Amino acid sequence: MNGASLVRAVLRGPFTGRARREVAFCVLTLPFGVFIPLAGFFVTVDAGLLLGAGPPWVADGNPSGQAVAAAVGVAALLALLLVMTGAARGLTTACRELAGWLLGERVAAPAPLPGRGLAARLAGGLADGPGWRALAYLLLKLPVMLLELYAVAVFWGAGLANLTYPFWWQSFRNHSPGTQLSAVPVITPFDWLGQGQFTVTTFTGTFAAFAAGAGLVLAAPWVTRAVVAADRRLIRGLLSPGSSARRLADLERTRALAVDDAAARLRRLERDLHDGAQIRLATLAMNLGMAKKKLGDSGAVPDADAARELVDTALRGARDALGELRELARGIHPPVLDNGLPDALASVAASSAIPAQLACRLPDRPAPAIEAIAYFCAAELLANAAKHSAASTIEIDLSERAGRLMLTVADDGRGGADAAAGSGLAGLAERAAVVDGSLTITSPPGGPTRVTVEIPLHA
Amino acid sequence: MRIVIAEDAALFRAGLARLLEDEGHQVCAAVADGTALLAAADEHRPDVVIADIRMPPAYTDEGLRAAIELRRVHPGTAVLVLSQYIETVYAARLLSVSPSGVGYLLKDRVADVDEFTDAVTRVAAGGTALDPEVVRHLLAASRRAGQLDSLTARERDVLALMGEGRSNAGIANALVLTLGTVEKHVASIFAKLGLPASETDNRRVLAVLRYLRS
Repeated sequence: MNGASLVRAVLRGPFTGRARREVAFCVLTLPFGVFIPLAGFFVTVDAGLLLGAGPPWVADGNPSGQAVAAAVGVAALLALLLVMTGAARGLTTACRELAGWLLGERVAAPAPLPGRGLAARLAGGLADGPGWRALAYLLLKLPVMLLELYAVAVFWGAGLANLTYPFWWQSFRNHSPGTQLSAVPVITPFDWLGQGQFTVTTFTGTFAAFAAGAGLVLAAPWVTRAVVAADRRLIRGLLSPGSSARRLADLERTRALAVDDAAARLRRLERDLHDGAQIRLATLAMNLGMAKKKLGDSGAVPDADAARELVDTALRGARDALGELRELARGIHPPVLDNGLPDALASVAASSAIPAQLACRLPDRPAPAIEAIAYFCAAELLANAAKHSAASTIEIDLSERAGRLMLTVADDGRGGADAAAGSGLAGLAERAAVVDGSLTITSPPGGPTRVTVEIPLHA
Repeated sequence: MRIVIAEDAALFRAGLARLLEDEGHQVCAAVADGTALLAAADEHRPDVVIADIRMPPAYTDEGLRAAIELRRVHPGTAVLVLSQYIETVYAARLLSVSPSGVGYLLKDRVADVDEFTDAVTRVAAGGTALDPEVVRHLLAASRRAGQLDSLTARERDVLALMGEGRSNAGIANALVLTLGTVEKHVASIFAKLGLPASETDNRRVLAVLRYLRS
């Protein structure tokens, strides 16, 4: 960022939508930071009084051990109650939604508590990880909330107030000469009610207040952004489903993909058989049946020419059916893959419409399923390149990095490849995702295109 | 006979048309989907329609639905549906609409030209032609239930051929028996299974199928 654009960014800062939304977030979530300490305070004190232990503090010395124990016990009970009833979760739902709406911090909600009814909830609630993390958020929100409050009240509030000084000064400070007027304080963020404050007594002085206000308001969005960033971290860390839950959701999604993919492939296979080899063989049988009829039952052939022609047609049909079955079998599992991925990819590269260079550096043989995925990805990527890229050469690179297989297909074509849903590339990405892999595309308009498939060597 | 063919695989369609023409029938139209079939049947009023079950656009059972619709609109037109698979429910749907003048065969049966043309002729004459596979399924279920224990092996063969919709003469021909022997077997089967004796082949098929499905 050069100097001019930095200045522009600073000057624009207070007027951006982001700044407004962050302030709104700080103000709207303020009660959530207050709630737990307040509830804790009152419940502990009241319970202490009810139990006759007195408040956990005394004016003239240390609290009694009994009072401290009562306070700790009651606080623990309160925490337990908040988690087990799901109240902690409920309270943080609003925070999570406000964060999504105002900060664009979209965090998935944890899975709901299992079971309905109070008994089930109480039993499940104790072991409810998301519930405890929600409570931790509500506790940690207190210091964060104080920082947010500081940013909003001092930087935004006092800053804006300081800006107004020159405008009302003349209306309120127009007393007759000689009247003793007290100085007006100007708030700054440094020890803002004490030594850091300065005062103004003259109209000229109000411009110092204005300058201080301008400085505060210009700094305000950045200070707010910094404290909100801390809150974002807390929300991401504590209000999300947790890493194992996320992993579970990931696995569920990819398993669904795998199941759908398998079903779709079987359906396609049936369709190919039905419309291809099967109908060809039925036609072939029909032609042979007709030829047999033309040949007659015995002795002289009544219609030899027609019979010969029908046998010819049948023969052609048999060849076509064989070819079709061969293609289909190859599509299910290419036999060359049994010799290993390098051989299989060499055969794909050799039959590519665009000249393709292959570089293989694989120390071990991957699992068969992985080889199959890599093979089909390479074949599909080459076919895609031949169809869309208008490239003159393609490079296929197969290597291993940290236990993962990296397959890169790069062409020098026109680029613009897009993995929009429904395209062949999206299908490949789904196939890779099934084994925890990924597909990365860089294909700027004008090219070149580079697609990298990364999958584990062993699924 | 005047025939309309509906089949989406072009090679098979052409072969079928040639087969029927070689056998002396007239193929008025050969179309590739259910909608075109209904239009062609309206236009040509054929004696028989031969339709593939699975056709565009959805590749499910449009041929069967077109055939059933056709029987409703033109009850005088016989319908023979062909398929690469045999589904007993399809046979049941076809028979439940109109018991006569319908047929359901595997495409493989076309290879036996005489058998196939016999089935076409039978259906055109208001009879029934059910694929041996359908009948075999039904028989197997009935045998498991023990309903056919009283029949001899020969009688079961005759029952199967009756289920396909064949006449006594057809059964005699297929099993290389005399007509009299077949008639005796048929009478014995009806007596053993407690079926009402029927005059026409058609009602006989229905009685047999109803018995096998029960």
